[in-house]
Amino acid sequence: MLGGFLAWAVQFTVIYGVTSTVCARGWADTTVLGAGIVPFTVAGTTLVAAVAAAAFLVHALRKHRRLQSADASVTDVFLIQGAVLISAFSIAAILWHGLPALILPACS
Amino acid sequence: MNAPESPKSFERDTSEFPNPVPRPKDELEKLKRPWVPPKGLSFITAVNNTYVGMWYVGTALLFFVLAGILALIMRTQLASPESDLVGHDLYNQLFTMHGTVMMFLFAVPAVEAASVYLLPNMQAARDLPFPRLSAYAFWAYFVGGLVFFSTIFFGLAPKSGWFMYPPLSSLKYSPEDNADWWLLGIGFIEISAIAGAIEIIVGVMKTRAIGMSLDKMPIYSWAMIVFAAMIIVGFPAIILGTLLLEMERAFDWPFFIAERGGDPLLWQHLFWFFGHPEVYIIFIPATGMVSMIVPALAQTPLVGYRLIVLALIATGFLSFGLWVHHMFATGLPKMSLSFFSAASTAVAVPSGIQVFAWIATIAAGRMKLNTPSLFIIGFLFIFVLGGLTGVMVAMVPFDWQAHDTYFVVAHLHYVLIGGMVFPLFAALYFWIPAASKRPLSERLGRWVFGLMFLGVNVTFFPMHITGLIGMPRRVYTYPVGMEWHELNLISTVGAFMIAAGVALFIYDMLRNFRPVQDQNAGNVWNAGTLEWLPNGNYGVRSIPVITSREPLWDQANLAKDVEAGRYYLPGTVTGGRETIVTSPFDARPQYILQIPGPGWQPLLAAVFTAGFFLLLTVKLVFPSIVCGVLAVGCVIWWLWETDPGPVRPPADIGGGFTVPVYVTGPMNHSWWGMISLLVVCGMIFTCLVFSYLFLWLVNPGAWPPEGVVVPHFLYGAVVGALYLASAALIVWASRNLRGEDRRRPASVPILIAIALLLFVAGSAMDLWSHWQTGLSPKEHAYGAAVYGIVSFQVLFVGVTLIMGLYTIARWLAGKLDSVRRTTFDNTMLFWYYTTAQGLGGAAVVYGFPKLVGGY
Amino acid sequence: MDLKSTRPRPSRALDPLLACTRWLALVSGVPVLAGCSGIQSALDPAGNDAYEIYLLTIVMTVGGTLIFVGVTALLLYAIFSRPEQRAWLGTRRTIVYGGLAFPIVTLTFLLPYGLTVMRDTDVPTADALQIEVIGEQFWWRVRYPAEQGQPEVTTANEVALPIGRRVTVTVTAADVIHSFWIPNLAGKIDMIPGRVNRFSFTVERPGVYRGVCAEFCGDQHALMAFDVLAMEDAEFSAWRAAQAAPAREPVTPFLERGRELFRSGGCGNCHAIRGTEANGQFGPDLTHVGSRRTIGAGQFPNNIGTLGGWIANTQHLKPGVRMPSYGMLTGEDLRAIAGYLESLK
Repeated sequence: MLGGFLAWAVQFTVIYGVTSTVCARGWADTTVLGAGIVPFTVAGTTLVAAVAAAAFLVHALRKHRRLQSADASVTDVFLIQGAVLISAFSIAAILWHGLPALILPACS
Repeated sequence: MNAPESPKSFERDTSEFPNPVPRPKDELEKLKRPWVPPKGLSFITAVNNTYVGMWYVGTALLFFVLAGILALIMRTQLASPESDLVGHDLYNQLFTMHGTVMMFLFAVPAVEAASVYLLPNMQAARDLPFPRLSAYAFWAYFVGGLVFFSTIFFGLAPKSGWFMYPPLSSLKYSPEDNADWWLLGIGFIEISAIAGAIEIIVGVMKTRAIGMSLDKMPIYSWAMIVFAAMIIVGFPAIILGTLLLEMERAFDWPFFIAERGGDPLLWQHLFWFFGHPEVYIIFIPATGMVSMIVPALAQTPLVGYRLIVLALIATGFLSFGLWVHHMFATGLPKMSLSFFSAASTAVAVPSGIQVFAWIATIAAGRMKLNTPSLFIIGFLFIFVLGGLTGVMVAMVPFDWQAHDTYFVVAHLHYVLIGGMVFPLFAALYFWIPAASKRPLSERLGRWVFGLMFLGVNVTFFPMHITGLIGMPRRVYTYPVGMEWHELNLISTVGAFMIAAGVALFIYDMLRNFRPVQDQNAGNVWNAGTLEWLPNGNYGVRSIPVITSREPLWDQANLAKDVEAGRYYLPGTVTGGRETIVTSPFDARPQYILQIPGPGWQPLLAAVFTAGFFLLLTVKLVFPSIVCGVLAVGCVIWWLWETDPGPVRPPADIGGGFTVPVYVTGPMNHSWWGMISLLVVCGMIFTCLVFSYLFLWLVNPGAWPPEGVVVPHFLYGAVVGALYLASAALIVWASRNLRGEDRRRPASVPILIAIALLLFVAGSAMDLWSHWQTGLSPKEHAYGAAVYGIVSFQVLFVGVTLIMGLYTIARWLAGKLDSVRRTTFDNTMLFWYYTTAQGLGGAAVVYGFPKLVGGY
Repeated sequence: MDLKSTRPRPSRALDPLLACTRWLALVSGVPVLAGCSGIQSALDPAGNDAYEIYLLTIVMTVGGTLIFVGVTALLLYAIFSRPEQRAWLGTRRTIVYGGLAFPIVTLTFLLPYGLTVMRDTDVPTADALQIEVIGEQFWWRVRYPAEQGQPEVTTANEVALPIGRRVTVTVTAADVIHSFWIPNLAGKIDMIPGRVNRFSFTVERPGVYRGVCAEFCGDQHALMAFDVLAMEDAEFSAWRAAQAAPAREPVTPFLERGRELFRSGGCGNCHAIRGTEANGQFGPDLTHVGSRRTIGAGQFPNNIGTLGGWIANTQHLKPGVRMPSYGMLTGEDLRAIAGYLESLK
């Protein structure tokens, strides 16, 4: 049920941890595949997290459809609906966290 | 022994009742008897949630008034420029205490207190699962809080701000005891808050009305579970922070001293990792209350239940991604700041969901304009404004201007007063009829609301402008000619309006509040949830099956049938206090929990705990240690009476349900409590490792610093092996302690004893291996961090030692066997955790310097 | 060389004072007598960075006000309109549109705007004027490192800035955390012991502004301010040259006596007056103290009277500062010392 937010939490930890470490140690000029390490990490992690959250969403939606046809317990349906909402909202949150990579310089 | 779990949700035909009427004549008498509170002086040993809850709420309100008076003095001082009413020293104490007391002694305890009272009633449980723990939490808070507050009368109150930033709060710049009062006083009030949170988690997850599955839980229960989860994740950071700062002050371990490799920013990270969620920790229970009050007053079910649950969970998660927005001006890279800016905007969405859900509910029903609904409207007005300024300060560049000015003072009071105080007053007016013979006066209530509502806006609205035209926070005076004085004068007038409103409220309470357990004013609002069922000290007569979120609306005659004893467990099956434990998802009955009754143990343990911390503050080390030992003794005395075992065979609670009166393993309530506690410990340890890594980050090329040798990795390997071997012995002991035949194998105490020896040897070796290299905790932050991790592990091994010996004692006393093994299980869980923590610590301390190229 | 910033100047269409009045009119039912055009006001931007933040403030205030009015109107409508009229509002749809979709859309626009303002403010440039400021309890140590043949300058509690040229202030703290804030020019930056932070901005409008400490730093946090003098380039060069020069020699016996008392009183243990044997580094540099607008870290106007009063009653005027009161000096001696300091233009 909480998958979407866990994806967000992992994304947040990774992008903040990497940015802080890289900037504090002055490794900002390191490049990965031609992009600076900070924008690369932020964009990459955002992509992975967003895909994960989207996968949670699709999975929850499918399960929801399945449960509705079956004679499922109200609690299970409730939990799955919660999962749908959570993964949908977390996609927005995850994308917002990726936005800075497009706008801001790596370390300054 | 364990009741079977069924994947299907619990559903039954409610037309037939589980228990026939009439009930046996003496059944109600027998139910009442164990719940009678002690008489005379011993009354204070009562642990029932209704008594403790009421004392708790009362004490919280007392601190609200006291901290409010401090604010009035400050507002009077600032009414005119260059005023001489109070000097800088007192003023600095005043604002530090105002913030600290409002946050730690009013807001968090108040919402926790309200839930001690409300939660069991709302879930139709007879009491919380650990009533003595609530009593302990209350008394620790009561004694510690009052002593802490009284420091202001002796000029000893902390004066470095409620955020206590070092180096201002470190020994060099605050050589007196003032800062220690904050660190130790608040440190243990946090322990009280955590005790309450664990209680709430287990209470919400395990003691609900039958059939109250997750989708039928009152929103308040959802709010409280999120609240409690946030406390056990967020508070450890500040516990660790206070611990480190106190270590620095007392033993000169330089965690925050820049000259010796420390960093003042480490404190800010730890403080705000707690401090920002703290705001939501206060706000979420209040929204839970609002989500209960609005449907009751509008006489219609809450619109958007699922969305509100989403909003609560989302707030819980996102609030941990906000902490740096208190540090936008600390010079961190813009990229780092922007992540927190994004999270700070994202967190506005869940609040928006809730606001619109309440508006929709109001629109769907008919809300009369009585006092509680006025407070709800006032709450929405104030909170929406505060939320919008919150989005403003989430934008980093704007915050660069607004940070630490009166704009932020305005913002935070709008969200906290709007988001917490107004809902709390709504809740008081709303729920007091459930706890008092008479409801509060409607006429006075409108005046209270009017004065407070106008007062809040008159006080805090002008501060937005005061801040933007340049007035910084935390100034005891300001010069003439800055054009701030008119606005400040207006704010002061407003503050006295709020005070007048609160005074009128107190008068109303004195006149009309007459606490009773039964014969209360009753369901005056025609609300739909279970706390309005007729009840007594014992809670409800019988525990109902519920089929909707507003059972009193949807299940005709529910109140009458519950009172008649037609539902489950209409009497007592063990002769003592008890409640039904239900499964966490779909709330099927699992077993009957035997609840402990009144006793001196929690009270004395709390007093001695408070004594330990407070005496330590004034450096009376010996009496303090005596208190500490006594506190541990009282806790052991208290525990000794728990874990009663299966005192009788499984009992019939009606409707064909026969449930045991004792279970062990993951179904047991104390298993859940222990897991929650271990989450707290794990978070403290995580924060400690974070601190270690943070200090590494700010010390390029000095990890370890020149001249320091990291012990050979073999030492770490041996330490880890000892811990693992010890845990393996406990696994073995646990295997021997299985079976339905109540066996008591002699191998168990022997294995525990050997395991203890290995454990102690492991941690002693850990400590020695660093000591023999000549590493000092004082010279550099590296040493401080290493000894921080090692001594934290030593502390845990010490606790394991006590628990192990206690478990052996239980075996010797014949109170531990293969069925009655909850004590062993708890020790075992703690043991496994401590092992894992030891391994993690060793990996960091011995391995990390090698990893980053140390020598 | 062209020292002028290449960035556009603030638009004249939005005269700060006028805009400020508008701002107040928008947000406030409260009668506000005070103007916003202060020497210490974020609503009276005198430079590009402050101006961009100011614009962001206006946009958010207007937007916030509209949302606030909208939500309040909905709430009142939900309470007071007829049940059949408001029925449309009482559904889940309200939450999905109002509470979920609307904020997500709004914030998706606001967040990039905020990030863009962040990108465009506080940007260092290679040719920026470098200034070092150290926060101390409870005053400011200010240093202009030598650059392009211009000598180094040390002063205290006063920052002079050329208009139109990028300025980078490098800050740290000597004791506890302080925060450097000139509301008219830019946001604030914390001064943290053991850390060096940089902060860049441009001044566009000449004038006198005031900066303050924004992070609580102990006893006299409230009385820790400084003057900001924004001047044309030529004027700035002259200021700099004057400040770099050694202290003036006393020209009268009275002032001579003041200097002697300053020496014999041990003032030089803490204060430096370049060109004399006073070389203490503990307190503010006094070489050109007479040229400063204020004394006591932005607290009192600078003249013989206040200087004398300060020396005699330091602990009364600003209790808790490191300097003791020199109350034992006779009135005559006090006047002499004050006169000497005042002469150090």
